[in-house]
Formats: sequence, C-alpha cells, structure tokens
Amino acid sequence: MSPQFVDFDADGDLDLVAGTFDGSPHLARREGNGWRQPEQILDAEGVRITLGEFWDHDAKKWSKTTRGDVPGEPPATGHATSAIAFDDDGDGDLDLLLGDHKSGHVYRRENRGTAAAPKFALGNQRVLGGDAPIDVPGTVATLRLVDFDRDGRVDLLLSSMGDAYSDKAGGGVFWCRNVGEGKQARFGPLQTLVPISTKGAEAANRPDSGLYAEAGDADGDGDLDLFVGGYSHWQPEGKVLNEAEQQRVQAIQKETADLQQELQRLNTEAQKASAGVADEAEAGKRYTEAYKAQKKERDQNRERMQKLTEELGTLVPAAQRRSFVWFYENTTPRTR
Amino acid sequence: MRSPLVAPFAFGLIAVAAQLPAQTATAPTFAPPVKLMAGAKGLGENRLFPSPVLHDMNGDGLADLVVGDLRGRLTVALRQRGTGVPTFAAETKVLANDGAELDFANW
Repeated sequence: MSPQFVDFDADGDLDLVAGTFDGSPHLARREGNGWRQPEQILDAEGVRITLGEFWDHDAKKWSKTTRGDVPGEPPATGHATSAIAFDDDGDGDLDLLLGDHKSGHVYRRENRGTAAAPKFALGNQRVLGGDAPIDVPGTVATLRLVDFDRDGRVDLLLSSMGDAYSDKAGGGVFWCRNVGEGKQARFGPLQTLVPISTKGAEAANRPDSGLYAEAGDADGDGDLDLFVGGYSHWQPEGKVLNEAEQQRVQAIQKETADLQQELQRLNTEAQKASAGVADEAEAGKRYTEAYKAQKKERDQNRERMQKLTEELGTLVPAAQRRSFVWFYENTTPRTR
Repeated sequence: MRSPLVAPFAFGLIAVAAQLPAQTATAPTFAPPVKLMAGAKGLGENRLFPSPVLHDMNGDGLADLVVGDLRGRLTVALRQRGTGVPTFAAETKVLANDGAELDFANW
C-alpha cells in the first residue's frame, strides 16, 4: 500500500489516501481526532477505480476489466497498488495518479468535478515522463509528491518493486522533475536517485527489492532526505570448504533436487485424481483424498528435506531476505 | 485546497525552505543508507512490504513515520528529538475512530 496524508475532500483536515493490493485507491476520511474506516474511491459513475486487474471482494477472486481502457491508447492491463491525489492540471481539485505494480507505467484519473465533490474520469490515461510514457524499471511500488529542486512545482518521486523473491534485479528510487510552465504538470524524463539493486551483498546494506520511498527533511538542514522501506537480500559469507565438504555440498544439492522432483510427482498424481471431474466439490474431494493418501511419503520427504537444509546451512549459510526501513541522508552540495 | 507539500515539511521548515536558493536541476545525491530503529527494534522490520510516510501524528512539530504494509494496516513510530540519523519510539498500531485497527480493505 502507499499511504498519503492529503485533504482529499477539501474540508481543511488531512485524510488518508492509499492504493492497496486489491488494485484500487482507498480513502480514510479525517473526522474529529481520528480517521473513519476506509472506503473505495469511486469514478464519476460510482464504480471503483482500477487498472485491468483487481480483487473482487464479492466473488472473492481476482478479476479483469477493460472498463478503464482509453481509445487510441494501449490497454491498461496492470494492477494499481499505489495511488496519490494530486492537482495535476492546476484547476484547484485533486486528480488521482495510479502506479502499476505489473508495469512501470503511471496512470491519471482526472477529477472533472470539484475539490469537495470529485468526479473522476472513467479512463486510465498514461502519464508521460519526457516524451514517452513513464516506465519505471522494476515496476511501480509507490508514488510520492515532492519539490526536490525547490522551484515551487511538485515533482514526482517513484520507487520500484524489482524481484522481491529471488536473486534477479531488484528495485530503485527515481524522480521525474515537473517541468511544466503553466498550471498543468508536465514531467521530465526519469532520473535515478537510488540505482536498481543488483543484490549479491554479504550483509543487509540497502533495500534491494520492494522499495517504498518517502522524502522529507529529517535532519533540519533544509534539503530532502529519503526514507525507504524494502527487502534486503543478502548471502552471508561462508567458510572455505575442503574437498570432502565441497563434495558433500554437491551431494546435498543433488538429493534436494531429487526430493523436489519427487514432491512434484506427488502433486501431479494428486491432481490426476480429480482430472476430468466436472463437479467442483467432487473434484476437490478426490484431490483431498489423494493428497491425504500420500501423507507418509510427503512427511518423509519433508523431514529429509529439513535435515538436508540444516546440514547445508552448516556448510554454506542460507541466503537471507528481510524487510527494513532505511534512511538516506541528502548530501547534494548547496548551490549559492 | 491544502498544499500536498505540507506533510513533507512538517518540521515547520516551510519558511526556511522558501528562503533557500533553488538547487540545480541535477538529481540529488545521498549518503549510503542506514537502517532505522523504532525503540529497540528495527523500524518496519519483518513487515510485509513496509511503506513509510511522514506525518506529525502527535502534534509535537516533528514528522513521525507512519508505516503501511501489504495487508493495508498502519503503524506509527513517533520521532524523537535529536540530531544525526533520526530515531523513533517503538511502533504502535494506527486505530480508526471506531477503536479498531485502521484497515485498508484488502484482498
């Protein structure tokens, strides 16, 4: 999710706007000394705002829609997990920008109503960075509004997901300067603030994937520092292995691969038990029965795998992955 | 409409920032990152995709860190006074008006 404190309904206090993993922007209105439970932000026809994919809360499943596609533009097939309210066209009301978790694109929903009574456009319009649509490497994790260059115009801060689960390239933090001259925001090309992580460190030394960035002056020196949530991936340094130990590592890896293959075989077998059964309940029952019948083999497989993993850990330390929030102090020299 | 710039400048630095000369259009540079602490624990440590945002939650003039996560729940770590790398008190859950945890409906 991507929380933003903003006066969404123009009543003089700060509400909370957030894109969430269900694929829609939400609003928690400020009321008295706190916030009401969130509601979905709806378009001008009262339908929840999404890109192409969303979690259907009624049907309890992931669904797709082409409702927000705009004629003449490629379909917005993605999944909006971040959103910020922003007066993009300078008309005094808040429009919405949506970040796509499945691509590097950012989409705009124009507010054609008023600040107090928004009416959001039905279509997802791509936001440009320079002459081409913004395309954040590693897909969009979150969007923030900051005036990094202090020219009085709000710029766009973007951070990216990258591969959060294995050793492929991670995410970074980027900036699109607002180069508009009139009321309408116009963003320049993407510039890198924190480069994409290539991972491979021996200790947690930065957020490598799932980067969620925020900017603010934390140390009171007048410039904007970064706060970045994300996962660190690291591989602790191991000991030098002798020949026998190296051979043992290879043997463990071979046996682990065999056990994984065996597990795959069991899965396929269990699925076969329900193949071709049209009735969903009956198919589920047959699958469960077949799965339960494999209990002994699965238990043996799991126990052996656990022992091998433990033994491997004594020879080659396991890769680590953990989330933290990091502080990046702004060290840009002042120009006076 | 209230300016969206208010929240990032919650240190009361709006006036200060306004007096500073404009920086160049080149991208800012940053020191190597430092892991933040909240009380005795890592801030946001082990949360699912922690997503920090600055906001003065207790009205003491310091921007606190509110941290959202994949499940749509929020915590707040109150900023403590001091210089250098910012320090924060232990995280607590952000509640809604109904007394329950503020819950951004999720899948």
